[in-house]
Amino acid sequence: MASAFEVAALDELDAVPVAGGAISWRPVRRRFGIEAFGVNVFTAESEGDLVVEDHYERGGPEELYVVLRGHAAFRLGDDDEIDAPAGTLVFVRPGTRRVATALEPGTAVLGAGAKRGEVFKPSGWEWGAVAFAQLDRGNEAEARRVLEEGIARDPDSWAGQYNLACFEARTGRSDEALAALTRAIEGEPERVRQFAAGDEDLAPLRGDPRFEELVGR
Amino acid sequence: MTEHPYEVAHLNQLDRVPSFQGVTWLPIRRCFGIEAFGVNAFAGDAGKLVIEEHDELGSGGSGTQEELYVVVSGRATFTIAGEETDAPPGTFIFVRDPAARRKATAAADGTVILALGGTRGEVFTPSAWEWVAPAIERHGAGDFAGAASVVRDGLERLPDHPSLLYNLACFEARSGELDAALQHLARGFELDPKMREWAQKDEDFAALRGDPRFESAVAGQPEPYGEFT
Repeated sequence: MASAFEVAALDELDAVPVAGGAISWRPVRRRFGIEAFGVNVFTAESEGDLVVEDHYERGGPEELYVVLRGHAAFRLGDDDEIDAPAGTLVFVRPGTRRVATALEPGTAVLGAGAKRGEVFKPSGWEWGAVAFAQLDRGNEAEARRVLEEGIARDPDSWAGQYNLACFEARTGRSDEALAALTRAIEGEPERVRQFAAGDEDLAPLRGDPRFEELVGR
Repeated sequence: MTEHPYEVAHLNQLDRVPSFQGVTWLPIRRCFGIEAFGVNAFAGDAGKLVIEEHDELGSGGSGTQEELYVVVSGRATFTIAGEETDAPPGTFIFVRDPAARRKATAAADGTVILALGGTRGEVFTPSAWEWVAPAIERHGAGDFAGAASVVRDGLERLPDHPSLLYNLACFEARSGELDAALQHLARGFELDPKMREWAQKDEDFAALRGDPRFESAVAGQPEPYGEFT
């Protein structure tokens, strides 16, 4: 039986490289098994490191960022610059561009979010990020297990199928990659084709006429 | 009106609202109008209670939330299910069990604890507590009409919430609106019969004691003279 409570220090949390290694993700929600809202921390080793990836959350969650320590610079909306020392709260509505960079080594930014009016469902992004970090460490079996766990939680997610396509392509299983990519395109044709056209993970598929036909080139 | 795409504040700029058991509440969710999850901060100097002693079983306006506490500054001692935990800045404490009694006391000046919450498998709704706490503060200052006004705002957001109805009845009874108090109390009893026990001992209802409508409602008996309204 799960204990009534759990305690962890920020620096004891796993550090998972994401966004091509540009960001260090501390998966708080996964660590504790929180199922009511999203919450993560992003940390910077050096000044200039990203602490919030450049993204929009179109149709997505309301997000609150809290600078827990260090000092960050946020760029929000139409390139508004926000100086954010420790203790700064930045609330960003869905569809708004946001990115943040550390101004001090060790800067930590907590991000919490959920969609208004909906039961919380964790983002499939989490499983993809963990799986690819495992793959980068050479743990192919664990990476596959995590990806499959994510797909089992949300079988209709195009993102889960897209991540699987990337994984299969990187591990040399072209037929399986193309099958997963087909399922992802069925779920979200326009965005998946856009991602697939420039995704280095899918490089092993380029030149295959089946891939070129799928992405519409 | 179009909402601004983002808002920024520093913890030091937020309102500091006295809340239950003397804790100081920094209402982050209300400041930004967040409607998707619960988030607040609580502050205190060394020796002061920062997180009030409570559980999340649903009485008194709290929910049945999973709660995550993050020590942002200072230092705190948490007591959860009878167990003490030292919590320097950067400590994350997730209380999974809504029945676990929890509280935190500041062990250093300038302690600030962030609290995030939501209920698994449910669309987020704010806790009635967010209205009850400032209303109780006004009640303590003798501003019963002001307290009632705060709780009425809460009922617009959370219609028919038993705790809000009960507290509204308290403030109305204090300010002499006895018929309205009886009406809201009756509705509260319908929704949550255990409130009858609270009402029996509640000094806020002193003006109603001896009124047969109040006595029969508290006793759970049919109202002797028909409906209150």
